[in-house]
Amino acid sequence: MKTSAIRRAILPAAALAAAVALPLVAVPLGLDYYVGFASRVMIYAIAATSLNLILGYGGMVSFGHAAFFGTGAYVVGIGMLYGLHSAWLAWPLAMAVSALVALGIGAVSLRTRGVYFIMITLAFAQMMFYVIVGLKAYGGEEGLNLPHRSVIGLGVNLKSDEAFYYVVLALLALTLFLLRRLIDARFGQVIRGIKENETRMETIGFATYRYKLACFVIAGAVCGLAGALMANQTQYVNPNLLHWVVSGDLMIMVILGGLAHRYGGLLGAIVMLSMDEAISPYTSYSKLYIGAVLLAVVLFAPGGIAGWFAGARARTRAAAAKTATDIP
Amino acid sequence: MLAKSVLDGDAVLRTERLCKNFGGVVATDNVSLSVRSGEIHCLIGPNGAGKTTLVHQLSGTVRADSGSITFDGRDVTRLSAHERVLRGLARSYQITSIFRDFSVLENIALAVQARTGSSFRFWQPQAAETGLFDEARRIAARVGLREREAVRAASLSHGEQRQLEVGLAIATQPLLLLLDEPMAGMGPEESDRLIPLIHELKGEHSILLIEHDMDAVFRLADRISVLVSGRLIASGTPEQIRANDEVRRAYLGDEAAP
Repeated sequence: MKTSAIRRAILPAAALAAAVALPLVAVPLGLDYYVGFASRVMIYAIAATSLNLILGYGGMVSFGHAAFFGTGAYVVGIGMLYGLHSAWLAWPLAMAVSALVALGIGAVSLRTRGVYFIMITLAFAQMMFYVIVGLKAYGGEEGLNLPHRSVIGLGVNLKSDEAFYYVVLALLALTLFLLRRLIDARFGQVIRGIKENETRMETIGFATYRYKLACFVIAGAVCGLAGALMANQTQYVNPNLLHWVVSGDLMIMVILGGLAHRYGGLLGAIVMLSMDEAISPYTSYSKLYIGAVLLAVVLFAPGGIAGWFAGARARTRAAAAKTATDIP
Repeated sequence: MLAKSVLDGDAVLRTERLCKNFGGVVATDNVSLSVRSGEIHCLIGPNGAGKTTLVHQLSGTVRADSGSITFDGRDVTRLSAHERVLRGLARSYQITSIFRDFSVLENIALAVQARTGSSFRFWQPQAAETGLFDEARRIAARVGLREREAVRAASLSHGEQRQLEVGLAIATQPLLLLLDEPMAGMGPEESDRLIPLIHELKGEHSILLIEHDMDAVFRLADRISVLVSGRLIASGTPEQIRANDEVRRAYLGDEAAP
């Protein structure tokens, strides 16, 4: 591997090592709460990453992403009512149903662009929110409790927060890895080209609608998985999972973390949820401070945290090159 | 010289009474023109004559209100823009439309990718496709951008971006090239480099060239059509056009005497 590739891999590798070590350190110290908290962060990271795919890389500003999050969660919750306990069946099913919902919403919405697209995706998600609220059989506004987490077998019991944590971590790592491959592949290049200049993509021979729809469905499926994991994390599903505020939260995470950056969703989830966690005990105005940070990012570092770091690296390299040539 | 459609057996593109209105404005008024296989056909006319609108209808970006467009023997009037490209009808834009964040090579590679196999591939890195990039390199050299192939398109000079515009169009290996003012905004030296390129392309593609630069037009054109206020007022060889009174009055002025 080239030295530059090794250097670039150090930080993510270190982060992964720290993530693997977290429960092993936290539990003996009596900080088990943070294992659950970290699981929550990682679940949102998966959802935000899926939004980054269509929003950051694809330029599709969807304000209805929560629809897939909630769908995935409810598939698991309702599934348990009907005796579907196996994670091996329920989680892929959650992804499949979310994919189908994304196909339906996308097929209509992607015929529009700009503000219209934003509004239509928002409308569809709100429609689903109200439908679920009306489903008294499945808890309606009160939501639905899950008797236990999904069953994995293989000698692993997800009842243990540590076991669940490692499952989520593995799925997050897999999601980030597959996203990277997808973006670097032909499909990813087309998506990036569409965001850059959709008309030109058409006039060099690409049926842009098909690619956008496929991208939308993939993002929906991955977000559905995040929803399934969330249902397991809290052992509770509630229509608020589909509310547009959740769509907004995911969007904030992507923007904070870095649009069109492979770790944008992850960084955004970490920062936003950590800030919330740190500030909430002292004030009920934690959102105010998060809003201020978001404003600062949008004004001064539009590439988000990831973009800022990438820019800083480029700036130090340029400065180093400059001083090298300055020396007589 | 009457504006009649010339029904040639070897017309690669033919329009039949094409019409387009925008609100009350007639942008395209019963335009019937043809481009013969292998020729460079120049479309000239004053600003606002409707030349770019006509190109939009030919490329499929805008739907004509009535009339027909026949390309390579088949009716394409209702065909989408991307379908026409796959059939061999490519265009370049008067106002540069490239992928600014991508390098020159990546720009052209995208165009090559569109016609070489499926892009519903999710695993193999596109950057590793040497065939794609070799072809892109070849085309970049063709349009004079070999030295700049790794440069981000946004960092290119205006003239270089115009060269890339042409590169994107030829990368799709079209039968017919619609070049919309390729030399727009170029200085004399830059234009002088582009003219021989267009002349070279003549062997491999038929070309419909929209241009204001009369010097370039008379150097390149096999035939010329003149559009005024959406209507085709003349169509013929450069000598015929130069001698045409109506054209002189509407557009050329009396300086362009033979």
